[in-house]
Amino acid sequence: MNIIPLGLYFIAAVAYAIHFGTRSPTSGRIATVLLVFGALAHTFVIGMQTMQVGHIPLVGTTGAVSAFVWLLALAYLYTEMTTDERAMGIFIVPLMVLLQVIPAITNTVASRPPVLESRWFEIHVSSLLVAYASFALACVISVTYVLLFKELKGKHLGVFYARLPSLQVLDVMNRHAVTFGLVFLTVGLAVGAVWLFEVQPVAADPRVQAMSLLDPKIFIVLLCWLVYAFGLYARRHIGWTGRRAAWLSVMGFAILMLNFLPVGYFVTRSHNFY
Amino acid sequence: MHLFLLGASHHSAPVDLRERIDFSRRGVAEALDRLNRIPTITEAAVLSTCNRSEIYTVCDNPDQVKRDLATFMSSFHDVPEPDVKPHLYGRTDADVARHLFRVVAGLDSLVVGEPQIAGQVKDAYQLALERGYTGALLNRLFHSSFGVGKRVRTDTGLGEGAVSVSYAAISLARKIFGDLAELRSLVVGAGEMAELTATHLKAQNVGHIGVANRTPAHATTLATKVNGTAVPWELVTEELASTDIVVTATGASKWILTRHHVVKAMQPRRNRPLFIIDIGIPRDVEPSAADVEQVFLYNIDDLQTIVQDNLAQRQSQVDLAELMVHDEVSSFMTWLRSRGAIPTIVALRESFESTRKQELDRLAPKLESLPVATRMKIEEITHLLIEKLLSAPTEQLKAARDEKELAADANSLERLFRLDASTSQPKSQDATDAVKRIKNRESKSSRVKHR
Repeated sequence: MNIIPLGLYFIAAVAYAIHFGTRSPTSGRIATVLLVFGALAHTFVIGMQTMQVGHIPLVGTTGAVSAFVWLLALAYLYTEMTTDERAMGIFIVPLMVLLQVIPAITNTVASRPPVLESRWFEIHVSSLLVAYASFALACVISVTYVLLFKELKGKHLGVFYARLPSLQVLDVMNRHAVTFGLVFLTVGLAVGAVWLFEVQPVAADPRVQAMSLLDPKIFIVLLCWLVYAFGLYARRHIGWTGRRAAWLSVMGFAILMLNFLPVGYFVTRSHNFY
Repeated sequence: MHLFLLGASHHSAPVDLRERIDFSRRGVAEALDRLNRIPTITEAAVLSTCNRSEIYTVCDNPDQVKRDLATFMSSFHDVPEPDVKPHLYGRTDADVARHLFRVVAGLDSLVVGEPQIAGQVKDAYQLALERGYTGALLNRLFHSSFGVGKRVRTDTGLGEGAVSVSYAAISLARKIFGDLAELRSLVVGAGEMAELTATHLKAQNVGHIGVANRTPAHATTLATKVNGTAVPWELVTEELASTDIVVTATGASKWILTRHHVVKAMQPRRNRPLFIIDIGIPRDVEPSAADVEQVFLYNIDDLQTIVQDNLAQRQSQVDLAELMVHDEVSSFMTWLRSRGAIPTIVALRESFESTRKQELDRLAPKLESLPVATRMKIEEITHLLIEKLLSAPTEQLKAARDEKELAADANSLERLFRLDASTSQPKSQDATDAVKRIKNRESKSSRVKHR
């Protein structure tokens, strides 16, 4: 069923590309409408899966990727509606298409092991996914910042000069997205830790026993937390705004994606619930 | 009825003549009043900008009006006719529409795509409308032209990109900082270029404008002009730390700002972006300052390159805009031709109406016995029947592709229905009402179209 939102996201991505090329307001509106339909279809799919298995399908990386794409669509649509800027769609929607391929191919909902039957689990995962979506947005904003910065600094005004909002606006958007993401990342990690202390002494599941600071997935996500926290600190106290803040944001998200997919699927011994 | 235009613009007349025939010197209103007294003209509007003086009219005999208007131009502006006549151009009917549409779209402007002209044409039309000198033809013409202007501006890139150095600088500032209201700017120098840029900064509501010059009195004078503050010359480099936009336009032979000054200023700024516009010749800012992080340095050549690129970009959109103008001219001309069908439509309507009346009169004795309400109903039904029967031929006549087709259709109708040529003008009250109804319908639909 995940193929339906995938198809709609794909058509929306094409529409955003056309909008980016032609800058016609109509193609922009069509792109937004398609994305809204994609998000609605995705909501329906997640709702159906929830009814099917009796819990929100967040178990395992595949379910998490689907939920992440859905949150990203919502976060992007929210940004688009509040800022009336559509130029970033060409970056964010293809990312969604790429990620949505995973749940569309797999197309199964992981069953929930007893150890995850807890309210804490849902808060832990959903907080982290909100954080990821927010960081993804920050990353895309930062990429556009760097591209526009390059044009302005190099005095070769081109496609991005004509299409993007000002550097200042992009910088502020990046700061907001990172701050928002960091709050949810902190909540997600804290809830995960508290919950782990609760279940580790009693659970026999080897994955729960494998959870420690040395597990790659946990170690890398903490590293991410440090990168983003340092970014906000440096912005305030060392004057690392603009391009440096943008690069940090891109770096943070790159590590996050590495952790989310390859590490999540193949390396971790603690978080392999698929 | 013909449209006729007589005018002069930067394409046809040198600047000294354009100054002498500028209507704004004596007032466009007065010109309109005087034009109203010329008996050969039925409608008139005057467009007067720094680059063009044009009179748009509706008349029956364009050749005669051409002579009348040339004389008027000469007498109104007090310029000998032989001086002005060779520089005037005349246009008739479709060419008038094409000319005005191109003017409003910015295709006829000195700087292609410049936006002010649309507003100037609107003002010119408004004035003529308020004084009652426009009628159905000019109203439609001007309204159509506003539609063309809007279409060209939204659907082509004709008006995009800065095409003057100072505007290019402001556009860059907007792309770096977004809102300019909270920013502090510093203008170094008090010459012509400095003044021009400072005025531009003020017009764009830049938060604060400081002015520095080697001669403090000059700085104070310019600062007063732009509601800014004078900055002592020795404090320029210190002022950098709290400034967002710096404009240097001095004639100094040495760097006013070196890379070292800029690096020093960036520390207390916490790397907030600094935009330096160096329009001095020779340059005032050491070029390597551009390498400092978060510093954007543009000199006069950079800005001029942007302007040239934008001009080239606009030029590439001209064909598309011309195509739009072409489309709109054809639809305007279709409308104009449809007006030519009115006499035939009126005659046809009158003929049907008189047949209806005759038949009802003939049947009157038989109908007398019927109740009043029924007789009224019969009156109404016969009336509606005629309206229905005439609606298709009316539409077809108005949609004639060209004058030839219209004349052929009109001839056929006159022959088939034995319409007398003399009945082609509204005579009876009924026919006059019919004309009014047709015109009302037209003006309503045109209003809806332009809303």
